[in-house]
Amino acid sequence: MATIEMIGVRKTFGTTVALADLHLRVESGEMVCLLGPSGCGKTTALRLLAGFEQPDAGHILVDGEDVTRVSPRHRGFGMVFQDYSLFPNLTGRQNIAFGLKVRRKGALETAETVDRLLAVTRLEKHADKYPHQMSGGQRQRVALARAIATEPRLLLLDEPLSALDAQVREHLRDEIRRLQQEVGVTTVFVTHDQHEAMAVADRVAVMRDGVLEQIDPPRVLYSRPASQFVAGFVGTVNRLSAEQAVDGAWFVLGEKVEAVGDAAPVTADGAAVAADAPPKHAVVRPEQLHVNRAESGAGPVARLVALSFLGAFTRAVIEHPTEGLVTADVLGEAADGLAVGDAVAVSVRPGAGAVVLQ
Amino acid sequence: MSAVTPRTAAPAQTRHRGLRVVRWTFLSILGLYFLVPQLAMARFAFQNVPVVLLDASTLFSKWSVSSLLNALAQPALWDAAKTSAILAALAVVLDLALLLPLAILAEIRAPRLRPVLSALTLLPWVIPPIALVVGVAATFRPVAPWFLTSTLSLVPFYAIWAMPFTYRALDSGLRAINARTLVEAARSLGASVPMVLFRVLVPNLSASIVAASGLTAALVLGEFAFASLLLKDTLPTYLVNYQRDSPQAGMALALAVMVLTALALGAVVHMLRRRGLGMSTTGF
Repeated sequence: MATIEMIGVRKTFGTTVALADLHLRVESGEMVCLLGPSGCGKTTALRLLAGFEQPDAGHILVDGEDVTRVSPRHRGFGMVFQDYSLFPNLTGRQNIAFGLKVRRKGALETAETVDRLLAVTRLEKHADKYPHQMSGGQRQRVALARAIATEPRLLLLDEPLSALDAQVREHLRDEIRRLQQEVGVTTVFVTHDQHEAMAVADRVAVMRDGVLEQIDPPRVLYSRPASQFVAGFVGTVNRLSAEQAVDGAWFVLGEKVEAVGDAAPVTADGAAVAADAPPKHAVVRPEQLHVNRAESGAGPVARLVALSFLGAFTRAVIEHPTEGLVTADVLGEAADGLAVGDAVAVSVRPGAGAVVLQ
Repeated sequence: MSAVTPRTAAPAQTRHRGLRVVRWTFLSILGLYFLVPQLAMARFAFQNVPVVLLDASTLFSKWSVSSLLNALAQPALWDAAKTSAILAALAVVLDLALLLPLAILAEIRAPRLRPVLSALTLLPWVIPPIALVVGVAATFRPVAPWFLTSTLSLVPFYAIWAMPFTYRALDSGLRAINARTLVEAARSLGASVPMVLFRVLVPNLSASIVAASGLTAALVLGEFAFASLLLKDTLPTYLVNYQRDSPQAGMALALAVMVLTALALGAVVHMLRRRGLGMSTTGF
């Protein structure tokens, strides 16, 4: 267990800036997910941590000790790769024992550790199979056991689930989290899958173009995204226009809402909105909206253009006369009375929580 | 649909059968082209019948392995075979020593160099052996004449000659095992460079290494031009000389060598197949 710090880390490949100026601190025993689209620098950050690449500038500290120039073999980190990277000539058991043998641990100690890890990863039956005789999920569990066998100071996971099919992925995701918490190892997990990141991480670091946009616990990231990019990356959002009344209250879709985010553009005495204040927007999640059928009356109305049933809720896409396309989630049977083409009324659900101003 | 299916299926079946006939015709012609000379050689070598009488009527008369036994009784044959075996072994060792680290480095540190290296290893094949030998002789005679008189002077020639096969076998093996991430995995687990090489890469490249060695050995055992130009007594030069003196025994020996080489290569391929390593991991 160790605290990891990346301080002012910069890395370029030719003219491409992979990491601009990364500051990241991972607390002891914490699991941080680096989340972002491909090319955002998350894998580069992981490879720098592992020591496979050298930063152009900046430092990497483990418990305050500078390891920037330390070779990967002396860092004492465990790593799990996207394509498993098991040694094809060794069985599952021998793969897990590899790091222990390299460290010249005794045969008895090695066997005990390997048996314990085979048990916690539920691989006892497959211990003596070669990698090509195992399924993807089994291989990745061997890779995980191999990485934690040496009791690493830091566990690095490079998109460990992306080569697996959906069911195995979800199962293994939970298993990784359980193991990580049992062992208590500091972990950095790279993924481009927001659900994966939100489900397992203590904190999620959203990256974009080599820059860290926001790092926060999943709940905060979801309810208080720091930017439009983060909001869009961690779930579906609507960007609706927000207006402020003279008393400072905020209105979205004509209704008074609880709002957080930027300072309200009111004058010091709170009397009037500044005339040249920039137009304000509110980031509203689909589940914060309420949809019901409206009687078609005079003037422009909102129309339902698409409905998709997603189990617990139905996602509705609405063409709004002033806001454009709006996505709203309708819970349970409330969607039964709706049909594509209906005239509907969209409003912010009472008690749906604060919307974020931008 | 049911009315249409039989009508479209019938021509398709005919076409399929037609293709099969064409395929078997070509295979048969190729087979005959390859087999007929071998059979003729076998009759010439193993029938104690004058050449002019070797026709259909004598097909089953006077078969004997006496010519082969005669050939095998020559001590000079075993000397030449020993020389060739040593040359083959040394060429394999030199080739692997040069190309294994090079192929690994190229794969891990500079993948963009791979096509360049692949082209470079082909270079010796562009130069005819006579030019290569004359060039080397002109270079070494004034400075190190002992190099040319030693039989071992053939080793570097053979190592260079076998490079395209060795390099390709190793290169495709490295790509098939995804060497780069294997090395990274081993390094992150604390393995030193020799450990990465001998505990991770070499065991997983064994199929490629065996294929490369087999091809190099086969090449050396059959190479005539360099050995003849440098006046060395290797198995191929011995075979040519011996055949001139005793044609029948020489032919018997040549056939025996060919069959043995074919069996050896077949055994290698069979072994690789059994280990689940197809042609794709060996490059051939």
